[in-house]
Amino acid sequence: MPLLNNIGALTYALEQEMEKDKSVVVYGEDAGLEGGVFRATKGLQEKFGEKRVFDTPLAEAGIVGSAVGMAINGLKPVVEIQFSGFMLPAYNQIVAHVARMRNRSRSRYKLPMVIRMPYGGGVRSPEHHSESPETLFAHIPGLKVVIPSTPYDTKGLLLSAIREEDPVIFMEPKRIYRAFKQEVPEEDYTIPIGKAKVVKKGEDITVVAWGALVREASKAIKTLEEKEGISVELIDLRTISPIDKETIIESVKKTGRFLVVHEAVKSFGPGAELISIVNEGAFLYLEAPPSRVTGLDVTVPLPKSEHFFMVDERRIMDKIKELVKY
Amino acid sequence: MYKFKFADIGEGIHEGKLLKWMFDVGDEVKDGDTLFLVETDKVNAEIPSPVDGVIKKLLAEEGDTIHVGDVVVEIDDGEESESLEEKSEKKGETRKETIDEGKDMAGVVGELEVGEDVLESSDENEGKEEITSKKKSLATPVARKLAKDLGIDINSISGSGANGRVMKEDIYKASEMKEKSDQKDDSKGNNKKSYIKDIDIPKIKIDGEVERVKVSKMRKTIAENMVLSKSVIPHASSMDDFDVSELVEFRKEQKEIADKQGIKLTYMPFIIKAITLALKEYPILNSSYDMENEEIILKKYYNIGIAVDTPEGLMVPVVKNADRKGILEISKEMNDLIEKSQNRTIGLENLRGGTFSITNYGAVGSTYGVPVIKYPEAAILGIGRITKKPVVKDGEIVIRDIVPISLSIDHRIIDGADAGRFLNKVKEYLQDPMLLLLS
Repeated sequence: MPLLNNIGALTYALEQEMEKDKSVVVYGEDAGLEGGVFRATKGLQEKFGEKRVFDTPLAEAGIVGSAVGMAINGLKPVVEIQFSGFMLPAYNQIVAHVARMRNRSRSRYKLPMVIRMPYGGGVRSPEHHSESPETLFAHIPGLKVVIPSTPYDTKGLLLSAIREEDPVIFMEPKRIYRAFKQEVPEEDYTIPIGKAKVVKKGEDITVVAWGALVREASKAIKTLEEKEGISVELIDLRTISPIDKETIIESVKKTGRFLVVHEAVKSFGPGAELISIVNEGAFLYLEAPPSRVTGLDVTVPLPKSEHFFMVDERRIMDKIKELVKY
Repeated sequence: MYKFKFADIGEGIHEGKLLKWMFDVGDEVKDGDTLFLVETDKVNAEIPSPVDGVIKKLLAEEGDTIHVGDVVVEIDDGEESESLEEKSEKKGETRKETIDEGKDMAGVVGELEVGEDVLESSDENEGKEEITSKKKSLATPVARKLAKDLGIDINSISGSGANGRVMKEDIYKASEMKEKSDQKDDSKGNNKKSYIKDIDIPKIKIDGEVERVKVSKMRKTIAENMVLSKSVIPHASSMDDFDVSELVEFRKEQKEIADKQGIKLTYMPFIIKAITLALKEYPILNSSYDMENEEIILKKYYNIGIAVDTPEGLMVPVVKNADRKGILEISKEMNDLIEKSQNRTIGLENLRGGTFSITNYGAVGSTYGVPVIKYPEAAILGIGRITKKPVVKDGEIVIRDIVPISLSIDHRIIDGADAGRFLNKVKEYLQDPMLLLLS
């Protein structure tokens, strides 16, 4: 079984699916010859040729718009946007066409396409390279939004995304692209979109995280369990839209406390939606106010100050302790 | 030594023109300081230093074209000069670098962690093992808070609401039952009241004729409560004379109105009202000292206890939420509580939950007193008899209606100055009763 990091798992999943399904095409800025800005598509052009793996001009709207046409006509485009900060020129295409095509055509046209993009901070990037804009997609009906946190999940979720009949925004936490490795099975397996994973059972509080913050939350939880004896249930959301309400509510009914951890800015962020779900579904079980630890309501700072913005183990630990003592 | 490589600053560029160095060799740089300016075909960008250190070597000159992955400056950051790979292998650390895993790997924006840590193999059944967890009751947060305040485990109550929801009434009921069982334990002498047993009480010598009267249950309870109060709370008292001539006049006027409604109007409701207003300004007097948790419990509700003399002994019924009631409403409720206390028909719920008490020994003709605080409250106000007295007012000796007031405080949490300020506030209201109507 190969030991891969998240980038390796992406490449592996793409390669396997392209072999299996001739309708899958991969393209984006530098996605062909270079293998993408982070090398996620490295070697694919060599293997599958320039017709299936190719470079595009620097034109996000064109990348996404052309994928709509391809998907309607029987291909399965998996396009790469270099950074989530640069997807805005494509946002009109995503909202006006990608998300609505099935509705607009009363299901005559399905839209099997995946838009991949690295997101998130913590890598000392320049401006426009650190945002976490998952809410911008999750707020639009008709889009599925998926964020993996481990190599195993990356492959399983990407295969599900490519096989979906509807468009999937596949957001990749760049900070953990190469941060760790995991065994990724050779065989074909998928992880269902819309289903969260209970990473660890616990009794005192439910913590929901996704992407790079699953790792931060895990570190915080380990320390708390060892030093404070607090038993935490950790859920990796995996899919930001649609949210797996059932798993979250069931967990909060058991623990009575809820904390959501995300890197996106606080106001109108995904945490607000999750807290509402908990209030609506588990109100009578709550022992403390459902809470959130998030990025700050500012533009992500440049490297010198980025650490003030980032959610870290300490902030998560402090909040968990506060809620358990509430 | 930190070897700084020019990284792709976005959009997959491969090279740029070094426009300007911001430092010279020997200069100190801080993490985040701009090292140099670079011009690409799209942008002019400031490139920040990723480390603190001293510039050792500039490997490109202004005007040079630099390529992604080129080392352009060496910064002495105090680290030994060994390759990052050696370092990370040696320490088993995660290394941070602009990705350059072989010649065909171009740089990327920023710095990615490159780690060799291996996560546990994923198992879709992870986290599926059941933990037998404690039964959780259904309750609103407000009910949970009430249970917490009353020291009741809400999960031990079976609720009377929809789907077994625990209602506030259920919690009050559970609290009463708990108190009863606590009292049972007390009578067995095996709980916190043991402090009474710890005192070595000398035997009473009798030097003449006596009659022995069996102490009633109620008298026993009063005695225990008094000992508890005086043993636990360090009392201090503050006293003053209030000129209540205006209040006497005002009450005379209002008495007729009250009589028509069948309400007997005494001075007490005015005093209760004045106290609740003053408590809002000095919340420490409406609190309890929780020694066990080392916390002061500031109560946001105002339940005023009134000491009532009954044939069986002292009882303290409580006017609940006095701050939300008018003078006549308080009057009516208070008269009702006094009557029920004296008939012994009062329910336990009317004798609980006080946050501050008043004792009116003036009613039986006493002038001065030092009242005992009702545990776990923080203060009690004693009221003497109103008498006409000569006082100096505006340089003249005049006859005024004077009432002596005595305030006892829990000196652990209330200082004399606070007590004085609180009394002055009560005085303000009672000397000018119109203020009570305006508040």
